[in-house]
Amino acid sequence: MTILGFIRKNALRNRRRALLSVGSVAVSLFLLVTLMTLIRELTIPPEDVGASLRLVVRNKVSLAQPLPYKQLSLLDRIPGVVAVTPFTFFGGNYRDEKVTSFAQFAVDPVRFTNVFVESRSSPGQIAAWIANRTGCLVGMDTMRRYDMKVGDKLKLTGTFYPCDLELKIEGTYQGSVDDRTVFFHHKYLDELTGDPGSVGTWWIRVAAADASGDVVSAINRTFQNTSAEVRAESERSFQMSFVSMWGNIQVLIESICSVVVFTLMLVTVSTMSMAIRERFRELAILKAIGFRRREIFTFILAESFGLAALGGLIGIGGAALFWGLLDVQKLSNGFLVYFEVVPRTMARAALVAALLGVVSAIGPSLAVARTSVVEGLKTLD
Amino acid sequence: MDTDPIVEVRGLTKIYRQGETNIVALNQVTVGIQPGEFVVLMGPSGSGKSTLLHLIAGIDRPTSGDVLVRGINVAALNESRLAEWRNRNVGFVFQSFNLIPVLTAAENVELPLLLTGLNAKRRREHVAAALDLVGLTERARHLPRQLSGGQEQRVAIARALVTDPLLVVADEPTGNLDAKSAHDVLGILQSLSREAGKTVIMVTHDPKAAAFGSRQLHLEKGEIVA
Amino acid sequence: MVIPLRYHVRNVVVRWRSTVATLLGIALVVAVFVLLRSLAAGIEKSSAQTGDPRNILVVRKGSQAESSSLVTREQLQALQYLKGIALNAEGKPLISADVITLISAPRAGGTGEANLLIRGVTSRGRELRPQVHLTTGRWLEPGKREVVVAENLARRFAGLEMGGTLKAGMGRLKVVGLFNGGGSAYDSEVWMDADEARLLFEREMYSSLILRPIDDDAYRSLTNTIESDKRFALRAEREVDYYAQQTLTAVPIKILASLLGSAMSIGAVFAAMNTMYAAIGSRTREIGTLRVLGYSKMSILCGFLLEGGLLALLGGFIGVAVSYGLYQYVILRGITFGTMNFQSFSETIFQFSMPPALLLLGLAFSVVVGLIGSILPAWRASQIPVISALKSL
Repeated sequence: MTILGFIRKNALRNRRRALLSVGSVAVSLFLLVTLMTLIRELTIPPEDVGASLRLVVRNKVSLAQPLPYKQLSLLDRIPGVVAVTPFTFFGGNYRDEKVTSFAQFAVDPVRFTNVFVESRSSPGQIAAWIANRTGCLVGMDTMRRYDMKVGDKLKLTGTFYPCDLELKIEGTYQGSVDDRTVFFHHKYLDELTGDPGSVGTWWIRVAAADASGDVVSAINRTFQNTSAEVRAESERSFQMSFVSMWGNIQVLIESICSVVVFTLMLVTVSTMSMAIRERFRELAILKAIGFRRREIFTFILAESFGLAALGGLIGIGGAALFWGLLDVQKLSNGFLVYFEVVPRTMARAALVAALLGVVSAIGPSLAVARTSVVEGLKTLD
Repeated sequence: MDTDPIVEVRGLTKIYRQGETNIVALNQVTVGIQPGEFVVLMGPSGSGKSTLLHLIAGIDRPTSGDVLVRGINVAALNESRLAEWRNRNVGFVFQSFNLIPVLTAAENVELPLLLTGLNAKRRREHVAAALDLVGLTERARHLPRQLSGGQEQRVAIARALVTDPLLVVADEPTGNLDAKSAHDVLGILQSLSREAGKTVIMVTHDPKAAAFGSRQLHLEKGEIVA
Repeated sequence: MVIPLRYHVRNVVVRWRSTVATLLGIALVVAVFVLLRSLAAGIEKSSAQTGDPRNILVVRKGSQAESSSLVTREQLQALQYLKGIALNAEGKPLISADVITLISAPRAGGTGEANLLIRGVTSRGRELRPQVHLTTGRWLEPGKREVVVAENLARRFAGLEMGGTLKAGMGRLKVVGLFNGGGSAYDSEVWMDADEARLLFEREMYSSLILRPIDDDAYRSLTNTIESDKRFALRAEREVDYYAQQTLTAVPIKILASLLGSAMSIGAVFAAMNTMYAAIGSRTREIGTLRVLGYSKMSILCGFLLEGGLLALLGGFIGVAVSYGLYQYVILRGITFGTMNFQSFSETIFQFSMPPALLLLGLAFSVVVGLIGSILPAWRASQIPVISALKSL
């Protein structure tokens, strides 16, 4: 037998207690990881490699206000602009879905492929899409989710527009930050709506990331004091503006979450402290035999740390596995998209688990230190 | 042979505080114990016999007075030194055995040795010798709950002996045992003092148990009366 | 024979040291559960309290929000002469077209921007919505680029205060009055003149129509006429029903509430179990003695279930009290919360809503947690043999 073996045997002595301790640590950390992932999802918009080179131009009034098509020729001529495509949100519903899980945008296919260069797709399919006025390009995630094939028809019922789309899937793409979106010809949308000569937004690719600030101000200046003033910004700050729309409910949820975590920590610490306190008498025997305080503290710490580590492993690993396997997007009605448990989150949770182990050991350690051997021996089980 | 006392108790006083009142458990006790003696402390409940034992064994601290064991003032040691001293010099036997339930007999006996620098092989040898001395070699792998009360107490004695201490202290070691087991346990303690030359100090209120000792000290109201 | 309740009550009280963490744990679980639910209830309440039961709302078929609905001027023309529409004091039919759009505006305190919902209304549109009443200033005058703003909204955005200006592209809109929408969705809106809005935002069409039928028969015939005409492609229903269905915004919070609720209740069950096991472990002799005295296994089982339930209920009371206190504080201080409405993509303002049923739900929740957590420990207690009364340890 070694000291370590003794600690292990002792920790597992009361299986029920050990199980409860490990269980409550696991539940706490599962929840902690989940909440941290949720907050991450709500506050950090996804981003891919091309984002630093892309700008978004919207109407200064609001995203709901369209931009005139005639801005295109002016935008093309602004120095630093490599490519521009119209980018109009269609907001259609697929089949009978109330909230469709993928967005659809009307774009200019040729220009589009020059703005979004990093997503992968076969050249043949792109050519086919460009050639077909009612063709569309569908992200692989959506293809898989609805079991679609290239060549299939895709019918979308308009909610923002008083018209429906009847598209044919000409190609697929993947490797973008969100492989769900459907892209189709802006011309087709114009046809259906009677060509109002407007677009939702412009998406632009610039030559170099460090010049994008200049391009942004050049664009804003160009349309100043026109009937459609614009707001140009980087793709990142465009995405962040959606985060800002969450309003103070985000703060509210964050504070509720901290209460939740605090509660569970409290309960866990008390459970683990009780597990150790249960063996007060034994610790007194160890003291009588000649174990010093230092060694007894080590016992207590090793035990509570071990329980916390095991619970942490189950909770954190469980959360990563659970959210990895679950179709969060479907369950949340498309509200949550990625819900990815990133290593950083796991590391932070692991740190909390370690802290739990240490904090739980404090109470019993103090009690043991205070109690004399004689008193300890008098303690009943 | 060394005729100096191994344990010297001088003017030992212990006062407990219980709520508002002070209870004098020991009052100016002075006594010497020679090496190899089997001293039995007797007296009614609250006479201070257990307190005296605890103070000699260094698991409690006196209010005033000294306990010298082989010239070392036990009361003056700090907490950590005291623990180390106990480990080397004192073997404990309790009324309620106090074995660790998750450990086998052999592992319980081994427990004090984990604090020494002995390697695993030497530890096993010591454990085997101690278990042999109490006649439980074949029960080495049993857990406490698989043993009878008498056997449990004999394991506890083996645990007390395994570090080869100067003193073996026993607090009502037969209190929870039947007559036959009690006789065995007392026999072992007696042979420790007679044959191995150990100094044994035992608290009991049972005159039959007391008869096994080489000297009896009677306490009453915190003082030695005989 | 039943163990006297006093025995268990006293035990919960006497052993407070070991129960306080569990008590607090359950209290916080209940508080969080109740608060999240009241948040979701608050959002739903603001849309459920919107509208007048006498009104019919007409939107484009297929649109999911008023803001994405389109109604043409021709449709307005055709509909206003339908039979069955009530007349106002001036003898004009009570029908009005709204224009709805969004303006991106900076929040007060410089914490980013959010979309404001702009509703262009006519004077009859105001008449049709008696739940909206002016609290400060005066009503807007058409043609002067004036707006009236919901009080709750005015506090949260820069420039929306009385006398402030709101930028909309080249246009400048002046705030001349504040209104109160009576806890409805209107409390998150800015109102201006409908035709002015169409001009400013270059809208050819209206967004929705609101009209008032004379009576229930007229309601049926009007909705029937409007919905059955294929050329219109319009949907007509009672205004209150339409708004009551706009519940999408509360969905994520409801999901969060049930997620947190279920995960935390598992944690709370563990805590209750732990406490009850500890309680029973240290009372083995006592329980043995109770058995000697003649109490049956069943009464021991029930007794400890009761004790666990009692403990949790106490925690539940604390939790409910805490959340109710917080709710009262928020209401008294007039604190409002804002988030994005998923249907209109505009800022929606709401308050907690804490109906008594929710408080009861919180208490029930705590009792269930306590009972589930006590089942195994209570069972164990009932299995303690009589002989343990006699053991010295």
